[in-house]
Amino acid sequence: LDQHLVEYFRAQMMKDPDMASAVAAIRTLLEFLKRDKGETILGLRESLTWATDCLTGVDSSVAVSSGGELFLRFISLTSLEHQDLSRCKKVMEERGELFLEKISMSRTKVAKLCHTFIKDGAKILTHSYSRVVLRVMEKAAAEKKRFSVYVTESQPDSAGRQMAEALRKLNVPVTVVLDAAVGYVLEKVDLVIVGAEGVVESGGIINKIGTYQMALCSKAHNKPFYVVAESFKFVRLYPLNQQDVPDKFKYKADTLKTVQNLSEEHPMIDYTPPSLITLLFTDLGVLTPSAVSDELIKLYL
Amino acid sequence: MPGPDKETDLTERIEAFLSDLKRGGSGTGPLRGSAETARETTALLRRITAQARWSSAGDLMEIIRKEGRRMTAAQPSETTVGNMIRRVLKIIREEYARSRGSSEETDQQESLHKLLTSGGLSEENFRQHFAALKANVIEAINELLTELEGTTDNIAMQALEHIHSNEVIMTIGRSRTVESFLKDAARKRKFHVIVAECAPFCQGHKMATSLSEAGIETTVIADAAIFAVMSRVNKVIIGTQTVLANGGLRAVNGTHTLALAAKHHSTPLIVCAPMFKLSPQVRRLTNEPDFYNFCEILSKVNVHCPVFDYVPPELITLFISNIGGHAPSYIYRLMSELYHPEDHEL
Repeated sequence: LDQHLVEYFRAQMMKDPDMASAVAAIRTLLEFLKRDKGETILGLRESLTWATDCLTGVDSSVAVSSGGELFLRFISLTSLEHQDLSRCKKVMEERGELFLEKISMSRTKVAKLCHTFIKDGAKILTHSYSRVVLRVMEKAAAEKKRFSVYVTESQPDSAGRQMAEALRKLNVPVTVVLDAAVGYVLEKVDLVIVGAEGVVESGGIINKIGTYQMALCSKAHNKPFYVVAESFKFVRLYPLNQQDVPDKFKYKADTLKTVQNLSEEHPMIDYTPPSLITLLFTDLGVLTPSAVSDELIKLYL
Repeated sequence: MPGPDKETDLTERIEAFLSDLKRGGSGTGPLRGSAETARETTALLRRITAQARWSSAGDLMEIIRKEGRRMTAAQPSETTVGNMIRRVLKIIREEYARSRGSSEETDQQESLHKLLTSGGLSEENFRQHFAALKANVIEAINELLTELEGTTDNIAMQALEHIHSNEVIMTIGRSRTVESFLKDAARKRKFHVIVAECAPFCQGHKMATSLSEAGIETTVIADAAIFAVMSRVNKVIIGTQTVLANGGLRAVNGTHTLALAAKHHSTPLIVCAPMFKLSPQVRRLTNEPDFYNFCEILSKVNVHCPVFDYVPPELITLFISNIGGHAPSYIYRLMSELYHPEDHEL
């Protein structure tokens, strides 16, 4: 059974490489819900929790975990309204489809909010490959704004080069810089825009390793540091420092399964505290970091 | 016939208001305080609601938005006009929701919760007609007007908690809110005020005269002396033209200097600002020329003289408004209570 699940998930990711991994996870869980033959709501929740664990075994990123938790919350909220299981399931399926439709529009909403912050002649610094940042820049380019971009190479997977390729296709002048050159290049830059894999309760973000460094340097140079993220990436974590971020997010799923001593592995993500972030652009609006916890409380309590 | 007469009367009033706005903003500072502007805008909106022809909430909102856009275009630096329009739009939405019977305290904002539980891409089009809507909206606008009238007093009432005896307070320029705040405290406490004159319009002089008439010991200093004198100051209390959505300020020029000096000496910076100054704008980029209003003074020399300054939220300790004291990080919450996100862009 878990084979089907994993295959469906992988198929979703491959079918639309532009889709966020959290969206693929939610789609998979919705499909799982439709096929589930359970009799009780509690049983349904348990099997969904198990399914989410399976998925995090494939892709251990924060986004998949937050997508799974959001879906579980969605189930709990719906099940509170309808006691009868079969009607409940029908309502869940309908709402699930609506939910997917809404979040597929979230990137467009974010781009609409953020592109006005990119002025003509701006020089932007970004980190690694982020589809949301790409969408924002597409929108800004479509509005005929002239801007240039510096992208960090973002080792160990050189995702920054992929970003540079995509930007070249949009006819945006782009320069790839070394991860170590962030401090060097910041004096030329007007603003910094990064994506996020997860937005935590304090208003900080979890993103590809090197983001924290970039945020610290921007603070030192007094440059605005903007984060663009969809709202389904909000996650119920409250890390106080880098150590607090759970190991299961820091390393790739295969690494977690095979390696004995994690302290010799390089983490793939880091945590950026809210004090370094100027504004967050989400589909819920332009938020200051202090507004994030408010949103999470509204949902989970 | 009463119909067309009412309409021409209405358009006349709107035109008069618009020309007043256009005149009021240039040169030696606004001709009237922002509280007055807010009150006049709200009174005008109430008149539009009463006299214009509309059959559903959607129509009324369209009319108000249209007039609102003209008003904000007449004087872009006067943000209270736009703020009042957004407040009235929110009032209309709330009254409409109440008439429809839906639970009035539901968040009309987007939220994760709403994403998960709502049953349908709700496109509210406000087309239903309710007979009592007009009366309800006008009553709510009246409540808003009463609130506006009490703002300066509400802020001044909080003065005694913040000002202690024998303190040295610094302020800049002239703010009617800060003036009444300090005068209220002076009835019971003895303290000293230092006013930075705020060149080139030197509104600080008028402020100092007014305060000394109330029996407060006042000293006027040049703007350049702010940093030098700051070490002897216990608190800095300022007013502002606008409070931005991120908790920052758009205040009279020289305020940023004052704020930086206060931060350097770890002196608390208190901003007295009524709620109608809260605007959904966010400041975009550091060197944006149209954020500040520039005006020429001499004809042979080009002197660029910004009228306003941006003060980032990190330099502010406390906002005192008519509903109490708040930290700058809380401003986003007040925004969501006063305005609806769809009205951010009129």
